[in-house]
Amino acid sequence: MRSIVLVPFVLLAALAQPADAGRGKQVRYIGIHPVPKSHGGGLCYIEGPHVHIFPANKLEYRDHVDHHYFVGDPVAYGYDGPRYAYKGHHPIHVHAVVGDDHEDVEFCYLDGPHYHAFQPPPAVEADFELVGDAYFYVAEPPQAYVTARPAMVKVNTIYKPLVYTRPVIEVEPPEGWIGVRFAAPAVVVERPAAAVVTPGIRAEIAVPMPSISVDIGLGAGIVVHDRPGVYHKHKHHKHKHHRHKHRKHKHKKWKRR
Amino acid sequence: MRTNLVRGLLLALLTSAAVLATACDKDGGAPSDPRARVVDAWKKGGLTPSALTAATVPVGKDCQSGTVGAIDVLLCVYPSPEEAKAAEEPGLAWVGDTTGAAQAHGTVLVGIADRKKSDPSGRTINQLMKLARN
Repeated sequence: MRSIVLVPFVLLAALAQPADAGRGKQVRYIGIHPVPKSHGGGLCYIEGPHVHIFPANKLEYRDHVDHHYFVGDPVAYGYDGPRYAYKGHHPIHVHAVVGDDHEDVEFCYLDGPHYHAFQPPPAVEADFELVGDAYFYVAEPPQAYVTARPAMVKVNTIYKPLVYTRPVIEVEPPEGWIGVRFAAPAVVVERPAAAVVTPGIRAEIAVPMPSISVDIGLGAGIVVHDRPGVYHKHKHHKHKHHRHKHRKHKHKKWKRR
Repeated sequence: MRTNLVRGLLLALLTSAAVLATACDKDGGAPSDPRARVVDAWKKGGLTPSALTAATVPVGKDCQSGTVGAIDVLLCVYPSPEEAKAAEEPGLAWVGDTTGAAQAHGTVLVGIADRKKSDPSGRTINQLMKLARN
């Protein structure tokens, strides 16, 4: 009797399930990429198009002809193949890496020193400078880079806690490096005594007043204005200000730049 | 009359030579059957594919399946590269809910499925795909 009563509920529950319930959905990838810990971890070394049944996150992957292409640092996930050091943001010519004809240039938003499994292709060699065994992007980035930057720099929060051997780059960045031109200060500092060290730039600022508010993400830069005592740090469109005394002034100042 | 006979014999010889030339590869040893060529490339690359057996799958009419280690492989031959390319989607359906690949190389569709999760790093799958391409 109890079974008869349960039948309609069982049927309803069965109908509520999608047709492929209990089955993983195929997700398309191209190129090497990390494997989520829930699926064993480590790195997948399949270079061509392939499928897995785990999803890709939005910060470390870009779409390449309906396949997920990994733009992060594979060494962070245990990659043991040939590697090339880069510093700061730079374009990735995906078609050159995967070896197909679908032209696709994506940007890597990893701050500071990191690795990739590829070098810049010869066709865009001039856009990079190889200094101290590391590639620095020195060309003019497209507007798409600037537009996507605020969202995409969040990828650094994934890498910050990862413990792995990053490349050591001790040379001064070349002139025109994207990390200098696009490093974004976010905070006005009221004549503090501060030593700010970013992965990309080392800036030492000595000012007498002990009032400082520094919100520096990886790779953020600092711009020192001509006006003495006013240091304007700007991080994309997100402004963080603490103990700031010239609220009215700061944005006007920034806009004029 | 005799001249015609000699001409006919020469023609037959030339035709036979042409047929033999197309059946053999440039390097002399590689098989002419595109599927056998893939298997041969795998073997030369140090992999040990099992014997392939005819497979009735909704991927193509001329398909054979086997294994390389614990990885399932499917090799289907099509009349043209375009038809092989078009079979990539059904090939991925054959892969199913696991790690794998289905890629056309000339007139052959190479399907690979790691249903036993024996290749977590994908290195063997990568090798299978790269060798099949050559």
